[in-house]
Amino acid sequence: MASVPAVRMTGITKAYGATVANDGVDFELIPGEIHVLLGENGAGKTTLMGILFGMVIPDAGEVRLGDEAVSFGSPQDALDRGIGMVHQHFMLVQDFTVAENVVLGSVSPFDLMFRRAAIEGTVAEAAERFDMDIDVGARIRDLPIDTQQRVEILKLLYRGARILILDEPTSSLGPAQIEALFSGLKQLRDAGHSIVMVTHKLGEVMELADRVTVLKAGRSATTVGKGEFDERSLARAMTGHDLPELPPPTGAEAGREPLLRVRDLVVHAGARLHAVHGVSFDLHPGEILGVAGVEGNGQRELLDALAGVSAIEAGNVEVGGRDMTGASPRRLREAGLSVIHEDRHGWGLVLDMSLADNLGLAEVATGAASSHGFVRRRRLKARARELLEEYDVRPANPDALALSLSGGNQQKVVLARELANEPSVLIAANPASGLDVGAADYVHRRLLDVSKEDRAVLLISHDLDELLKLSDRILVLHRGRILYQAPIREVSMDVLAMAMAGSAPSQGNGDGAAVGSEDM
Amino acid sequence: MATPREAVHPAPGSPPGVPPAASLRGRSSPLVRLLIALAATVAIFSALIAALGVNPVDAFNAFWDGSVGSKFSLGQTVMIASLLACTGLAAAIPFQAHLWNVGGEGQLWAGAVAAVALALELPDGLPDWLAITITVLGACLAGALWGFIPGILKATVNANEVITCLMLVFIGIALGNYAISTLFPSQSNQTESVPFERLLPNIWEGTLVTAGALLALGAVLIAIVLMTGTSLGFQIRAVGLNRNTARISGMRTGRVIVLAMVIGGAFGGLAGAIAVLGINGAVVAGFSANFGFLGIAVALVARLKPLWIVPSALLFAALRTGSSGLQAQTGISATVGEILVTVLVIMLLAVGVIRLRYAEAAQ
Repeated sequence: MASVPAVRMTGITKAYGATVANDGVDFELIPGEIHVLLGENGAGKTTLMGILFGMVIPDAGEVRLGDEAVSFGSPQDALDRGIGMVHQHFMLVQDFTVAENVVLGSVSPFDLMFRRAAIEGTVAEAAERFDMDIDVGARIRDLPIDTQQRVEILKLLYRGARILILDEPTSSLGPAQIEALFSGLKQLRDAGHSIVMVTHKLGEVMELADRVTVLKAGRSATTVGKGEFDERSLARAMTGHDLPELPPPTGAEAGREPLLRVRDLVVHAGARLHAVHGVSFDLHPGEILGVAGVEGNGQRELLDALAGVSAIEAGNVEVGGRDMTGASPRRLREAGLSVIHEDRHGWGLVLDMSLADNLGLAEVATGAASSHGFVRRRRLKARARELLEEYDVRPANPDALALSLSGGNQQKVVLARELANEPSVLIAANPASGLDVGAADYVHRRLLDVSKEDRAVLLISHDLDELLKLSDRILVLHRGRILYQAPIREVSMDVLAMAMAGSAPSQGNGDGAAVGSEDM
Repeated sequence: MATPREAVHPAPGSPPGVPPAASLRGRSSPLVRLLIALAATVAIFSALIAALGVNPVDAFNAFWDGSVGSKFSLGQTVMIASLLACTGLAAAIPFQAHLWNVGGEGQLWAGAVAAVALALELPDGLPDWLAITITVLGACLAGALWGFIPGILKATVNANEVITCLMLVFIGIALGNYAISTLFPSQSNQTESVPFERLLPNIWEGTLVTAGALLALGAVLIAIVLMTGTSLGFQIRAVGLNRNTARISGMRTGRVIVLAMVIGGAFGGLAGAIAVLGINGAVVAGFSANFGFLGIAVALVARLKPLWIVPSALLFAALRTGSSGLQAQTGISATVGEILVTVLVIMLLAVGVIRLRYAEAAQ
């Protein structure tokens, strides 16, 4: 390279106690490039970027900006030097306006009170300069998630950031929103900004990256430029081995009794935006039915209603031909329905209990693991050992507390428990979210196994790749209604993306006017 | 969505190394921290005593004599500890289910009233052992009822158990005063006395220790078996640690909540029976020196573990009897004893022996 790198990090080392998060990592950012930092969970991506942004103080190593060695004591130091970071969870004050958030910290409260119009003017000007269509007077809480993200980026640009770090920026966006984000990032790059994007999604790398650095187990495994990588080689660099192709979905046999039948389901939302307004579908034996949609379009309400933990206002639900509308989780479980909840810590595990206890929750609840009111400890533990072995959970120690495991291993524990009693219907919501490639692949294989055995899976996910890989059929939820559904071989990406963004394709049953008027 | 709790990566920006205060709270063993708290309490209390014009050495001698220095005073401490162990269990079991049963005081009073009523009203023809058994069980039942009400309200309409429990404390105390003034009035400020043969027998000559101490020990054993061995105990823990996961796993969480409160209440009621049949022989006005509330501290110091309730209850009981000795020998008001307990609880909180964060307390 002829030019001086914008950032050069060499020999970065950072340990947390016995855990070495970064072990002599080298990283280089060229001016005007989009550089993707790729790696599995725990590979040290966030730590490395935390060091660049001044949030984490490295134990050893050097950070250079241009020709100058720097050492940041706080994010403010980094911001002063033109480095900004957009975190996975936005750092915006929900009750402030866009303009207020953008200038927060860089103007005095006095100015904020008495020079509002002028401030809004400069922020609006900045938004225009960066080609962002944002109403600077709107309150953050009223804005959709992708606009909030743009506000985060604008905030950094407004403060003069030339180097932008984005941590998993696509995790809560739909395909259309992702596309908009990417084109915005490319624009910024072309205007001379340097961008680091942290992700573990391979597809995004292919689309966006000028160069890629892969971190593996705290070391920089490789840095490659455009044209020198494909998804396969990157996956290998991340995991250290090849992942075999998933077998294709098997497809349901038509004409058989559905295992799960949902008719005109209506669920009310609490504080959430969109509930479920009259959803109907059948889930057949041997089938994986994917439910797609941008987060917050009724998926969570659908999940909670089907899991028996939130009230059903109208409509009915049949499991295996029996009416189960409004049944408790206990009765649903007895009827052969299992749930892998998307909120692993809130609804999947008891973090402060041992793995044996976590695996035995359902058995203790139903009495299968107790006799005369006493827990059959030995049986519980033996069973746990078997399951931990079978599902390759590490550590395979039944006495370990659930909270001591990594996310992937925790998910395997949930999976083991929910599949152990061979449910006829499995509802899995974002079952691989937050998991690294290897663990996600494992979860996917298990789901495919379920469908092979003439049982069925309802897969609710906001990860389109996951849905396209596993589903036999896909339906799209938008604002609590089914806007589109089709067998997988008839699904086109364009139509899917449009449906997720809310424009009803011709064969959908959505009614535009009604959809608009029933916002809650 | 919940953010993952990762053991590997602490929150970005957390300072490197562990500050000394955190190591005091986090690293050293609970026993060491308990000793630190006791030492600090002694120091503060000595200063207070000296300020009141009494030689701290004399004061501690008096304190020692009053709590464990003689056979008789040791016996008194044991009986107070029996009460506190039961009210401690009344708090600990529901706490494990993440239910803040702060109604031990009410459950204690309800049990005491039921005990005196049964002991006085059961037909004369009954054999004494049967009458005593029925009386004790009746007291437990009354306490259980006092626990059932907040429990069922919590399970059905999600009424805050702290508030309902506190309301029932007032009702329980009022019920006790009603028993004293109207139901079973006597010459002095207490109910009629229970006939001698219907009291719990003395089991240690030269002291006032009665079979009530054995009942308390039995209660602790029952609680240990409940929490470590039974399916219900497992479910109480699961519901306490994560009600959502327990529910989606098929547990009847409402039922578990009610049962945890009922069991806690029964232990509180048992404390009432011990007070009436094993200590006072009647419901005496103001007999409970906040024993029900003190049970909360007993449970927290024991980290909600039934076995540790025993030493914890003995500690708090010794403070109580010791400060009575202090008053008798030095003339310092017994309210100083209240201060002593308060100072200790604050010190225990300060060094982290008592933790209000539930997850840590339970495991």
